[in-house]
Amino acid sequence: MNIVEQDLIFSGENLILTNQRIIYWPEEDTLILSDLHLGKAAHFRKHGIALPKQVAERDIERLAKLITHYAAKQVVITGDLVHAGANKEVELFASLTLQFPETAFILIKGNHDRFIDKKLSAIGLHAVYSIWNMGPICFTHQYTRELADKWTISGHLHPGVRVQLPTKKYLRCPCYVVTEKQIILPAFSLFTGLDTWSIPENATCYAFFEDGFFKVG
Amino acid sequence: MEDTPGYRTVTEWMRSKGNTAFTFQQKAWAYYAKGYSGMIVAPTGFGKTFSVFLGVLIDFMNHPERYKKGLKLLWITPLRSLAKDLARAMQQAIDDIGLDWVVEVRNGDTTIKQKQRQSRQMPDVLLVTPESLHLLLAQKGRAHFFTSLQAVAVDEWHELLGSKRGVMAELALAFLRFKSPTLRVWGITATIGNLEEAAEVLLPHVKKKIKVVAKEKKKIDIIPVFPEEVEILPWAGHLGGRLVEQVVPIILRSKSTIIFTNTRSQSEIWYQLLLQAYPDFAGQLALHHSSIDCQIRQWIEEALGEGRLKAVVSTSSLDLGVDFKPVDTVIQVGSSKGVARFMQRAGRSGHSPFEVSKIYFVPTHSLELIEVAALKEAVKTQTIENRDPLVQTFDVLVQFLVTLALGGGFRPEELYPVIRDTHAFSYMSEEEWQWCILFITVGGSIGQNYEEFHKVVRREDGLLVVEKRRIAMLHRMNVGVIVSDAMMRVKFVTGGYLGMIEEYFISKLKQGDKFVLAGRVLELARVKEMTAFVRLSSGRAITPSWLGGRLPLSSNLSHFLRQKLASSTHAGTKEKELQFLHPLVVRQNEHSHIPAEDEFLVELIKTREGYHLFMYPFEGRLVHEVMATLLAYRISRLFPISFSMAMNDYGFELFSDSEIKLDQAQLQQILSEKNLMDDVLASINATEMAKRKFRDIAVISGMVVQNYPDQQKSNKSLQASSGIIFKVLEEYDPNNLLLKQAYMEVFNQQLEEPRLVSAFQRINKSKIIFKFATGFTPLSFPIKVDSLRQSLSSEDLLSRIQKLQHNNAQPIRRK
Repeated sequence: MNIVEQDLIFSGENLILTNQRIIYWPEEDTLILSDLHLGKAAHFRKHGIALPKQVAERDIERLAKLITHYAAKQVVITGDLVHAGANKEVELFASLTLQFPETAFILIKGNHDRFIDKKLSAIGLHAVYSIWNMGPICFTHQYTRELADKWTISGHLHPGVRVQLPTKKYLRCPCYVVTEKQIILPAFSLFTGLDTWSIPENATCYAFFEDGFFKVG
Repeated sequence: MEDTPGYRTVTEWMRSKGNTAFTFQQKAWAYYAKGYSGMIVAPTGFGKTFSVFLGVLIDFMNHPERYKKGLKLLWITPLRSLAKDLARAMQQAIDDIGLDWVVEVRNGDTTIKQKQRQSRQMPDVLLVTPESLHLLLAQKGRAHFFTSLQAVAVDEWHELLGSKRGVMAELALAFLRFKSPTLRVWGITATIGNLEEAAEVLLPHVKKKIKVVAKEKKKIDIIPVFPEEVEILPWAGHLGGRLVEQVVPIILRSKSTIIFTNTRSQSEIWYQLLLQAYPDFAGQLALHHSSIDCQIRQWIEEALGEGRLKAVVSTSSLDLGVDFKPVDTVIQVGSSKGVARFMQRAGRSGHSPFEVSKIYFVPTHSLELIEVAALKEAVKTQTIENRDPLVQTFDVLVQFLVTLALGGGFRPEELYPVIRDTHAFSYMSEEEWQWCILFITVGGSIGQNYEEFHKVVRREDGLLVVEKRRIAMLHRMNVGVIVSDAMMRVKFVTGGYLGMIEEYFISKLKQGDKFVLAGRVLELARVKEMTAFVRLSSGRAITPSWLGGRLPLSSNLSHFLRQKLASSTHAGTKEKELQFLHPLVVRQNEHSHIPAEDEFLVELIKTREGYHLFMYPFEGRLVHEVMATLLAYRISRLFPISFSMAMNDYGFELFSDSEIKLDQAQLQQILSEKNLMDDVLASINATEMAKRKFRDIAVISGMVVQNYPDQQKSNKSLQASSGIIFKVLEEYDPNNLLLKQAYMEVFNQQLEEPRLVSAFQRINKSKIIFKFATGFTPLSFPIKVDSLRQSLSSEDLLSRIQKLQHNNAQPIRRK
C-alpha cells in the first residue's frame, strides 16, 4: 500500500490526511474515517447483482494495514459503517476488532447504521454516539448548520472533485473537503461513488490519487 | 392461389379501395400458404405490411380449421408509435372483409387492466415490441399464450438487425420456434447491403424459406442548395447559417417540410436561424429532438400529421415512425453520414408508392457538396450500407435467461441447442454457456466469491426458476437493452417542465450560465438532485453539444466520396456539384494535390503556430480518431514529440509546436499495416474504452439497476456506477464474460477493427503523395477549425496533474 500524507493544521491540531481515505491524528493516536459501507456488496448479491466478496474484504484489509501502520489506539468512524442490515460481510468487521484488542473502535451513527445499537458489542464497537466531541473536535456523520461554531469532522457526502485535464478530458478524484472549521471525509470504502456537486462554497479540496495529493479551489 | 376463396375476398376488398396487389405481395401470399417462412424486401409505402398480414388472412379463410381460438399472428415492430396506427389499419381491413378477428397492441402504453385481460384471453393478432414480447415470456402463464400461434411477423427488420434489440428478437423467435416448430416467421425489411445475411439471421436453420424482393423502386430527387459563391477555404459549420436565406423560400413553397439536422445542437441553432430569417414562422415552426418533453413531441407529431405545421426542425428523432401525409419536402442540413439514412430521410416526403421523394441538401461547408454527388451515385447504384448483426452479446443472453426463469423456468440442457441455433450465439462454446448459467445461479465461475447470491435457483426437478418476488420485480422493470444516459429534468424555477438533458452537459455548467434548450435561452439557477432549475433569459448562450449525435461517415459513402473527389479534377465534369466546386479543387491542386482513387494524400503544413500533419483517409471520425492516435504513437517512437489531434469525417490532423521531421520512407513506415492491431492497442487506453462500453452491458445484464419498482429512497442502497463495478470485476473476476464482451465491443464498434484494417490495406496499396505547404489547403482547413480536438501526450497522470496544479486549477462544480 502506497501511503501518501498531507499535513493539515485544524483547530490547532496537527492532522495527517492520507491518500488512503483516512486521517491520522498523532496527538491522540487516532485514525478517523467515514462511510465504510460494510455489507454493500453482499446486499447487492442478495438482490441478484453478482459482486464478489473481495470488495468488502479489500476494505477491511486496507483498514487493518492502516491500523498496524500507524499503531493507532483508537479508530473513529464517522458513520455509515454498515450499508444495509446485517449480513456476512458485517462479520468481517467483528473479526477485525478481534484482531486489534488494544484498539478502541468508536462509531458516530450514520443514516445507514440502523441496526447497530443491538449488535453494538457483538461486532466489537466500544461506543456508539450520534455526535461526539473529542478535544476541540466534534465528530458527526452529517454536517448541519447548528454545528457552525464548532470544529467538525463529518462524512456522508462521499466528496470528490472533477477536474479538466489539458486534453479536454475529465478526471474524477475523491477528496477531503476543508473549510475554515470543517472537514468532510472521503468515503473509506472503495466501492462507493463520488459526489462532485455538493461541495460547499469557499472550500479547499485536497484531492488525491494513487501517487499523491493535489489541491483545488 | 388465384381461385381460392380467401384470395378472391382479399383482392376484391383491395379493388374496392382502389388498390391492386403488387407482384411481391402475391408471391408472399402464395409462399405463406405453402407453409414457408420468408423475408420481404420492399421500399416504404408499398404495402409491405399487407404482404404478410393479408397472407395470413387468406390462409385463414382458405383453411379456417387450421386456426384455433387465441393468438394467431404475433407482430413485432421496433416502434411503439407505429403500433397503434398499424393495429387500426389491420382492424379496419378485418372489419371490411367481414372477419371477427381482434387486433390489439401490447407495449409500455397498454394499461394494466388491458394487459390482464389479454393474459386471460389473447386477441387474434397482437402487436408487440421486442421488449414487450420478452415481458410476455417472463409471465408464468406464457405457455398458453402461444398455443394457437401460426405466424410471427418482424416488421422493420433492418432497424432491429445490428442492434441488441435485434438479438432480443432472435432469442424470442428461437424460443417460440422451439415451442412450435411449424411456426412461420416473416421478416419485412427495407433494402440494406446484406440482405442474404439479414434473412439468415432471422431464419437460421429454417428449411422452407424464401426471400421476396419487390421490383418497385422509390424515386428520390436530390437537390443541392448552392451557396452564392464557393468558399475556397471551407469553414466547417459556418456556411449552413448563411444558407438560411435560401432555405426559407423552399419551406414557403412547400406544404409541409421536415428539416433534418445531425445533432440536437444543430437543430436548436437552425430553429433560431429560421425564426430570425422569417419571423412569420412563429407558431408554425416546431423543434423536435429527444431532449424535448415527450408530450410536446407527441403534440408536434400530431400537428405535423394533420398539416398544422409549416415546418419541423428535427434530429434523427423523426427518422422513423408514422407517416406524415402532408410532408412533401425534406431538407437535410449537413452530411447524412450514410446512404441508408439519407434515403430513409428522403422517404419522409412523398409517401404514396409512385410519388417522388424530394430532398434538399444544405451543405454546412462547401466540400460537403461532393457528398451530394457521392449520394446521387450511391442511390443510383443502390449501394446501401450493411447492418451487421451482433454476435456473442452475453449481456442480452443472461437477461433473457432470467426472463425465461421468471416465466415458469427452463431446463439448461434443453435450452442450450435452442440458443446455439440463433445466429447471435452460433459461436458460443459449451464453457461460455455454462458461465452464463453460473452467472445467473451462483453469481460467477468462482461460486464461493458470491455467497448469499440470489437470483435464479435450480429446483429439485431441475428447472431453473426465479423465486424471490423482489428479484422478479426488479427484472421485469428492467427488461430491454436501451440504456439511456443519466438524464436530468429541466424545470423552470417558477414551475413548468421543459424536457430532459444529459447530466454530463449540465455538470459542465456553472450557476448563471446560459444555454439553449427547446428553442429558448435559459439560465441555470440551481441543480437539485436530478433536476436543473432554470430561468428564461436572453442573449448569448451555449448550445449544448451532445456527443451522442456524432455519427461517423459510413464506409459506403466514404468510398463514393473518394471517387468523386478524384474525378473532380476533370474540368469537363457534368455533375453540377463538382462544377460548382471547381475553384476550390483548382486551389487544392495548385497548393497541394487532389488524390486520385489509387493515391493517399499526406500534407505537412508549416504555419506560425507550428507544424501540422494532415492525412485524408475519408473513413469517418471514429476510424480517424484511432488512426491519429496510432500515428502519433508511431511517430513518437521515431523521435520524442507530443501532438494534439483534430479530426473530421474526411481526415485528421496531428499538430505539434516542434518540427515533424518525416521523410518519405518514414512515412511509409508509420503507415504500414504491419503490427497494426498491436500498435493500436499500445497507443490507446483500451481499458478506459472498455469501461465506457461496460456501461450498457452492466445495465442490460442487470448489474446496474436502471428502473426501480417504486420510487422509495431505500432503493438507493442498490445503486453503484458501472465504472466501479467494472473495476471490481477487472480485479477479482477477470474471466467474467461480460468484461470480455466489453473489450470485444471496443474492437468491433469503437475501433471498427475490420474497417481500420481494410483502410490500412488500401493505403498500403495506394501511392502515397507527400506534399508540403505554408498555408492551409481547402482540404485541411475544415479539420483545422473543427472544434473537437483532443490532445495526446506521452505524459503520465502525475505529470499532467502537476501541470494542472501549476496552472492553478479550478474545480468544476456547482454551488
